[in-house]
Amino acid sequence: MIRRILDFVFILLFVWACMILGLWIIDSYIVPFQLPATTNNIITATLKVGVSAAMVLFWLWLWREIIRRMFWRTTGVR
Amino acid sequence: MFTELAIFILGLAATFLSMPVIIQKMRKRRIVGVDVHKKDRILIPEMGGIAVLVGLTVSVLAAIILLPEKASLLISFLATTLIAGLIGARDDLKPLNAKVKPFLTALASVPILLMPTYYPRPVFPIIGRTRLTIVYPLIIPFAIAVPSNAVNMMDPFNGTMSGTCTIVTLVLLVSSLLLHSNDGLMLSACLLGPVLALYYFNRYPAKVFSGDVGSLSIGAALGAIAVLGQVEVVTIVAFMPQIMNAFYGLATIGRLYERREVSRPINILEDGRLAASKDPKAPITLARVILARGPLHESEAARIFMILSAIAGLLAILTAQLIVMTPP
Repeated sequence: MIRRILDFVFILLFVWACMILGLWIIDSYIVPFQLPATTNNIITATLKVGVSAAMVLFWLWLWREIIRRMFWRTTGVR
Repeated sequence: MFTELAIFILGLAATFLSMPVIIQKMRKRRIVGVDVHKKDRILIPEMGGIAVLVGLTVSVLAAIILLPEKASLLISFLATTLIAGLIGARDDLKPLNAKVKPFLTALASVPILLMPTYYPRPVFPIIGRTRLTIVYPLIIPFAIAVPSNAVNMMDPFNGTMSGTCTIVTLVLLVSSLLLHSNDGLMLSACLLGPVLALYYFNRYPAKVFSGDVGSLSIGAALGAIAVLGQVEVVTIVAFMPQIMNAFYGLATIGRLYERREVSRPINILEDGRLAASKDPKAPITLARVILARGPLHESEAARIFMILSAIAGLLAILTAQLIVMTPP
């Protein structure tokens, strides 16, 4: 019982920590970012949204992969 | 605090008193469902969620009387929940297409958008308050449809949906207190009584099933609390087990699906215990992952769901504390 719960506790903690880390990266690097070659705010804003969205998608993919691998490894079936 | 306590007690009492009547009516009309995780496959009355809607209507009306200045906020909250409940009731009586249901539940956000009772400045931990004037209203339909359908998908064992939603509501109430969100506190108090009463009747061994009328409306209500109470990020964290469950299921099947369309992720053994299916075509749901380490009794598996929800709840409260610590 404890082992089953611990598996998920580690996943929840990892996913939560990744979310906080992602927010810190967005706040520290993505928000202040300015394209050096352009003064067009729309291009810079689109790039910022695109990079942030890609980070969210990577976060979800990582989350899915951890569970998928954990499940098939535990059941021992492929 | 007295107002919130009164609202909570009224919602709890109304659901508690109306549930036996609903159970009797559903049994009489043969609106029952098979308890698939019991060996004797007993029939349990469905649509107990109607009592949640009764309780929520009573608590919201009481809140409008006690706090008339919050009437538009409370009406938009109640209307959103009732629309989602109507969609759920239609699904219980005549099943809807898996692709139509999320679209219809997104429409439940119309009262919030039309009145408009939202504040397009969500607060994030570390980042602080942001201004999303254009994007925020576009996100609101998803903020209602996603939790609504995620809650609907996380109802595998007796008491899991009602129990985990009770924990999420309690977490939103505590987080609203930490974040000084009076609206979040009031709306959470409105919902807490009805979901707690539902849990009493729905916990193992269940006396009633909530039905989609209950799961879709409770999910929509939680989404509405996130938007109207400005506790968006906290709700996402508290909802991690539900998100996990829905996301894995969708990722395995590769499309929106109805439970009856796919292989069962859980099998019932001769001794009555539940085991994870080894069928590669079955969706990888949270219940299946929990059972991957070996068979369990339904009550034990349901308890693990509650513990996971409580842990996600603690992380959500920690997130609320991080928001408090973030400079404005």
